[in-house]
Parts: sequence; C-alpha cells; structure tokens
Amino acid sequence: MTDKDHMSKRKFMQELRRYQKGSVSRRHFLGVTGLGAAAAALGTAMPGLRPRRAYAAGDIGDRVVLATWPNYHDVENFERFTDETGAFVQVNVFGSNEEMLAKLQAGGSGWDVFVPTNYTITTYVSEDLIEPLDVSRLANYDAGAFDPRFADAGTVDGSLYAVPKNWGTTGFAVNTAHDGGKPFATWKDFWDRTMDDYSGRTMVHDYQLTTIGNALKYFGYSFNSVDPTELADAERLLLDAKPHLFAISSDYQPAMRSGDAWMTMCWTGDGKQLNSDIPEIAYVLGREGGEIWSDYYAIPKGAPHREAAYALIDFMLSPEVNAREVMAHGYPVADSRTNALLPKEMLEDPILYPAQDLLDALEFGAAATLTDPNRAELLARFKSA
Amino acid sequence: MTQRERNWLLVAPAAGWFLVMLVLPLSVVFIFSFGERGAAGGYVPAFTFEQYANLPARFTAFQNTLILAPLGTLAAMLIAYPLAYQLAVRTDPKWKTILLVLVIVPFWTSILIRSYAWIYILGGRGIPALIEAMGLGDVQLIYTPFAVLIGIVYGYLPLMVFPIYVSLDRLDKRLLEASSDLGAPPLATFFKVTVPLSIPGVATGCMLVFILLMGEFLIPLLLGGGKVFFVGNALVDLFLQSRNWAFGSAVAVMLIVIMLVTVTVYMRLIARLHTSRDDVSVM
Amino acid sequence: MRIYSFCVYLFLYTPIAIIALFSFNAGRHASQLQGFSGKWYGRALDNPFVMDALETSFLVAFASATIASVLGTLAAVGLQGIRGPARALFDAVIYIAVMIPGIVIGIATLIALVTVFDQINPWLAALWPEGGAPPTLSMGVGSLIAAHAMFTMALVIIIVRARLSSLERELGEASADLYATPFGTFRQVTLPLLAPAILAGFLLSFTFSFDDFIIAFFVAGSETTLPIYIFSSIRRGVTPEINAIGTMVMGASLVLLIIAQLILRRGDRR
Repeated sequence: MTDKDHMSKRKFMQELRRYQKGSVSRRHFLGVTGLGAAAAALGTAMPGLRPRRAYAAGDIGDRVVLATWPNYHDVENFERFTDETGAFVQVNVFGSNEEMLAKLQAGGSGWDVFVPTNYTITTYVSEDLIEPLDVSRLANYDAGAFDPRFADAGTVDGSLYAVPKNWGTTGFAVNTAHDGGKPFATWKDFWDRTMDDYSGRTMVHDYQLTTIGNALKYFGYSFNSVDPTELADAERLLLDAKPHLFAISSDYQPAMRSGDAWMTMCWTGDGKQLNSDIPEIAYVLGREGGEIWSDYYAIPKGAPHREAAYALIDFMLSPEVNAREVMAHGYPVADSRTNALLPKEMLEDPILYPAQDLLDALEFGAAATLTDPNRAELLARFKSA
Repeated sequence: MTQRERNWLLVAPAAGWFLVMLVLPLSVVFIFSFGERGAAGGYVPAFTFEQYANLPARFTAFQNTLILAPLGTLAAMLIAYPLAYQLAVRTDPKWKTILLVLVIVPFWTSILIRSYAWIYILGGRGIPALIEAMGLGDVQLIYTPFAVLIGIVYGYLPLMVFPIYVSLDRLDKRLLEASSDLGAPPLATFFKVTVPLSIPGVATGCMLVFILLMGEFLIPLLLGGGKVFFVGNALVDLFLQSRNWAFGSAVAVMLIVIMLVTVTVYMRLIARLHTSRDDVSVM
Repeated sequence: MRIYSFCVYLFLYTPIAIIALFSFNAGRHASQLQGFSGKWYGRALDNPFVMDALETSFLVAFASATIASVLGTLAAVGLQGIRGPARALFDAVIYIAVMIPGIVIGIATLIALVTVFDQINPWLAALWPEGGAPPTLSMGVGSLIAAHAMFTMALVIIIVRARLSSLERELGEASADLYATPFGTFRQVTLPLLAPAILAGFLLSFTFSFDDFIIAFFVAGSETTLPIYIFSSIRRGVTPEINAIGTMVMGASLVLLIIAQLILRRGDRR
C-alpha cells in the first residue's frame, strides 16, 4: 500500500461520511422505493413457493391458449380438460372481432385456438392468418351432425378452416322491473327509451358490427349497411344517445347483475344467463331484425401448441362436453348429437330458440363490415365524442 | 486512445440503443403518418396529408386529455402536499419511514387490480348506495369523468407525495424556527418560507404525473366505461380495433408535439420561477 | 392535520382492503362474497400461466434494468467529457425518451419492429444455409427487454449524471491532484461514489419494468408478463385468484421491505 492509496482511501471515507450525513433523501429513496421494489421482485420470484405438478402424459404439453368471448364457456370443462390431458387452458377474452383480427395481424398472438364469428373467416383466410384444419385429428367432429346454416362459413374455397362452436342472436336484455308496464319489442324502443326512461342505464357493445348495426335497424336499414347516407343516420342516432348511456362495453353482465345498468345489447347466452339468475331481466329480439351469428373454433397460423389446440377443439366437440357447455352458457349448438343430450326445456327455451317470425328478420354479419374503414371510424367517433 | 475517443466509446452503446429503439420507431411513426390505411387494415405507403386533415375527428379525445390530465395533476398535488408536509415536518422521525412506506405500498399492486376495486366502490352497491341511504338521491359515479379523476389521483398519488416530501425534508428546519422566532405567524412562515422552498419537489411531482396522464389509457378504460376517451384510448382503438396505422401514427405525432410544447414551456416557467436552484426537475 | 393524513391513508387503503378481502372469497365471482376460503391462493400458485407470467416479468425486469444500468452509467460518464452539438443532440434524445408517453413508445416500437422484421425475415430465410430452419425475428421477450431498457436507460443516465456533476468537481480534481490516472480515478473514486446512484437507477428501472403494462401490451408479442396476464383475466371478470395474486405480491414486498429496513438500520448503528 502506497501512501497515495492510503490518502485517497481516507479522503474517500470522509467524503462518504459527508455524503451520508447530507443525503437523507437518498437513503429514504433507497430504503423506501428501491429496496422495496427489489423486495417485491424477490418475493414474487421465490422458487420455493412454486409447487411442481407431475404430469402423467406430457404428449400435448402443459398448456393451451384460447382466445374467446366473455361468459362463453363452462369453466369446469377446462378443469376436466386439464385433469385429462395435463394441459392448462389460458382463456383470453375479447370484445370484438376487430380486436382479434388486429392482434393476429400484428403477429405473434401466441394463441392456439380462437373463436372467430362466421363473417370474419374469409378475411382470415385471405390474410393468411388461419390454419386449414386436419379433420383426421378431430375424432369428435362429424360434419353430418351439424346444421349447415351454422357450419358452412367454416369452409372457404373447399377447405375446412373452422368447426362450429355455437350460434345465437344479438338482441337486448332489459330489466323489466323499471319498465313501468310498457314492454320492449323493437330496436326503436331500445334507442328511444335509452333517451327517455332508461337514460343513464343503457349499455351498448364496444363493437362496430352490433352497435352500428342495431342503430341502422332503428331506421329499418340493413344491419350490414356500408352505405354512407345510412351510416350517417346511424351516427346521428348514436351521438344523440351517447349522453344517455351507462357505458360502452361488451362485458355487460356485472353491471346488469349489480343493477347499475337496466338494459344492454346482449347475446343469446348472456341473456339466458341473466334471465336464469334474475327473472326480471328479459331477452328481447328487435322486431325489425338484427344479427344472427355462428361462432367457430379455429387454429391461427403459427399456433405454438398445435397438438394441444387440436386436443382442446376435439374435447370441446365431444357431445357430452358440448352439452355441459350449453347448460352453463345458454348458447344453442348446431350439433344434433349434442342436442340429443340436452333437456327438453332447454331445446324449447324461447331465448335460445326464438319464434320463427323473429328469426326470419335476422341477418348474418357481412364480411365487408369487418374491414370497412367507414364503419370502424364511425364507431371511433362515437366513442370519442 | 485519446480522452475524446474514450468518451465516445462509452457513449456509443447507449447512443446505438436509442437510435434503434427510439429514433427509428419515432421516425417510422412519422413516416406512417403520411401513409394510408390498407384494405384490411394496417399501412400502405403513400404521401398524403389526409391523416392530419382528419385529426379533428379525435378532437374530443385531445380535449378530454388536455382537461383531465392537468386537473388530475392539480388534484393529486393538492391532496399530496399536506400529507407530504405532515410527514416531512410534523412527524416524529421514528414514524417517518414507516408512514412513507405506507404511501408507496399500494403502488405495488397492479394498477389494474386497484382500479377494479374502485369499480366496486364507485358502483351502484358502493358509495352511491350509501348516498341513497342517507337520502341524498340517486347518483351515478362509476363510468363518469369523476370516476376517472378519482382513479387518476389514486393511481398517481405516491408519485406526487414522494418528490414533495423529499424537497420538504431537505428543507432546513432552522429556517422555519428562525421565521417564527422573528415573529412571523405560522401561516406566513408556511407561504413565505416553506412553499417557495418546496417548489422543486412540486414541479418534479407535477411533471411526472402530467407526463403519465397524457398517455393514460387504462384508467379511462376501466373507470370511464368506454365513454371517457383519452388520446391513449384513441390510439389503442386505432391500432387494436380499426387497424388504421396511418391515422394512428398521425394522432401519435400530434400527441408528441403537444407533449413537447407543454412540457418545454412548463420547464421554462419553473426554471424562471426558481432560477437559483439547479435541481428543479429530474432533467 | 392528523385527521387529514388519516383520511388520505384511508383513501389509499380502502381498495387494497377490498382486494385482500375478496381474495378470500369462496365463490367464483369477485363481487359477491360467498364464504371464506384460502383456496384461491393455492390456485394461483398452482397455475402455470401465473407462474410463467411472473417468471417472464422477472426476467424482463432484471435484464432490462441490468442493461440500462450498465450502458446508462457508461454513457453518463462519457457524456461528462462531451460538449457541443453532439452533446445537445444526445440530451435532446434523453429528454424525448423520458417525455414521450409509454403508449406512444409501445405503438411506435411495435409498428417499427414489425415493419423491419418483415423486411429482414425473407433475407434471413434466403441467406440461411440449406437444411436448417431459418430463424424468424418476431416480437417477444427480446423486443420487450430492448424497449424497457431504452426507456429506463434514459432514467439511469439522468440519475447518474446528477450525482456525477456534483461529485466530479470536488473529487476528480482532488484525485488528479494526487496524480491518479483517469481510469484509476474512475475505478477507485468515482465508481464507488456513484454506486448508490447506479443502484437507485437499477431499482427504479426494475420497478418500472416489472409494473409496466402499456409498453408490454404492444411489444411483448405472444409473451405474457404479470400485468398482461392480470389485464386479460380482468376482462373475463375478476376471479378471487387475481385478488390473491395482487395480495401476495404486495404482502411479499412488504415483508421483504421490513427485513431490508431492519438490515439497513443495523447497518446504520454499526
């Protein structure tokens, strides 16, 4: 040790002391934010806390990622799937088909299975985002068992890309405890009374197809219109109604259940679920028409766990599993094998199977609406207004 | 190797990083903002000012942001200041650390979960039920600008308390004693001595919170019910719903310009207000 | 005054209390209490997605904070000796990095990298030797680490530079007076004195990265960090599992914080 070294060390220590005395804030900073943050990280990363699961059969991996819609599954079916195969199901929920498409277009969604709606599948095919299905790996898929009306959209240019999950309608759910004896029957009622006795209590979807489509129905236009003058009418109605809305969201069950919202645009199964638990909530199909739809299971290009994806779809297609799904979520299926297992009252339920004259007025969504820039921009203007 | 070369060598990795991860992305956004939307979404190269001409379609989003961000910053500051003062000046040192920690602990739970808790508190069965029970009528709190404001203040309060606390804690207590020894009433001491000395902390806290609020997206989404729309929400929708990358880029460029102007003006003002100190901000 | 503080703490902790309370809910719905149960804690710890998300978050936070601290410190030191337009440009870049909202950084990084990768991937495939599968560049942990490191590097540079500018005058001169080489000065004097600032920068970076949702939302590709997992779970209706995760993260950090404080206090007494 040279003298110089010694000197600098002593000086260094002096400086350090001075620094420590003068710098309360630094110590607090470290003590409070810094170490705290490190502690947080360490705490959550402690390996001992993590129990390891021994999987019997590891052939399909330990996970599968499913992109789907809210309130659309029997959670216990996923638990059964995990018990049978060792693969956990991660469920990602979306509010609109646009959101699913955007995620897939941006690349690397990480999904193994997703649930597109009928009118979107041709776009996924033309954008090369969807994988043709290998039917030989879907033992439970029996094309003949499905009502072609709800299964046809899965086949594009002769190749099978998607197998039917459920079908249903888009109407609205209304809490009749507040209707003052005046029942709801039309989309005109929906919009007029949103701006009247249901003001501040109505929800609409965060989804261009249904929110714009059902505003178009107010004027008697097609649900799928991309005509600029007709869209302008719909926009005016939406902007007039906006101050009277409770929220713009496709996840409306919590607010309907808590009583914060009294009326909402609603899909069949949500209507059924709400009506079963709270009988005052009725499911109404607008007499003018609206949407009839069919959802499908499909595998996106580049799915990271393709084996597990096939296993999950096949599992969900088995009639017993599918019947449990229907019992839990209340969406009808197009599969006669599944329907054979369902109780009679389910098959006669007017929410699931509306009267023929109401059904006849409904339209399937059109592919053009998914990519039409005017409809997308209209919804954005409505939300930001 | 000269000193000069060595300095450049030290700076080079960081400079490269900023070039690839900041300058390049921002340039791409700038270029895309002159492009067009593809048929199925995305981006098609073009040179048009159409996207900028279309900006008024997001006027409300900019307006909401430019009203609620400063308002939220101000509200957070007004709520944080007395607490920071109490902690720094009036609290027994024994308790200081633990009380300060308690301000920050909520910060460690994801803002997502905390906001969700507010949906419950502000929802029909929470505070509104209480208000109704007291006979004060029927109010809607959740999914209003007010709910968003609460969420903002709640989410960013610790960021405000902290810098103010630090600046007040550094303040020489003898100054306060001197002031009161000289017969100044407590309020005068507070406004003439304490407040001016704490300006750097307040300025730092306000800027931190303001910057974060200008890009906010989650709180309006969760507590605004899709009705209270910030620029952040407009951006997310443009990229994740309508897939209009070109217009989204124009909105992003506009937001960057607004940020640059407001923050620069703000820092100039603060610097003028407090020229003698060099620790005015984190910059 | 005391009452005021009490009210602020009440404001801060009511939501936390609700989160903790509902994490013990026996029922599935987060908003309806149906008896008391600790089962959701077991569920959360048993769920591979939660654990994976946690691991990813930890990895990203650690890697980005390390890169940011090392490169940021080097840059801060180097910048001390650089003047003129180059310096002004660099300062402007740091200023912009800190000031631009995370959402813009996320979106800009996403569209830039997606565009660049689309250009590079065909080249990689063309140049790759026959036989092997060519690598494809895509969004993921790498892009997320790079984006976080960019933002936090700016923070580290600011923090370290503030410390440097107050140190350099007094110490550098003192040491140079004692005939130390520049590198020796740096290693023996500057670096130890900078250590607290670097550590603070590291921890700040770590916290930022660990907590970030919005950049990760755009840049993480198919990877799931803890905030992303929570976000997608919340949209399917909060289950008590999410509340349990939040409570655990907070509880663990609180316990470790107390331990750290005890150690720090003992260190002070010595």
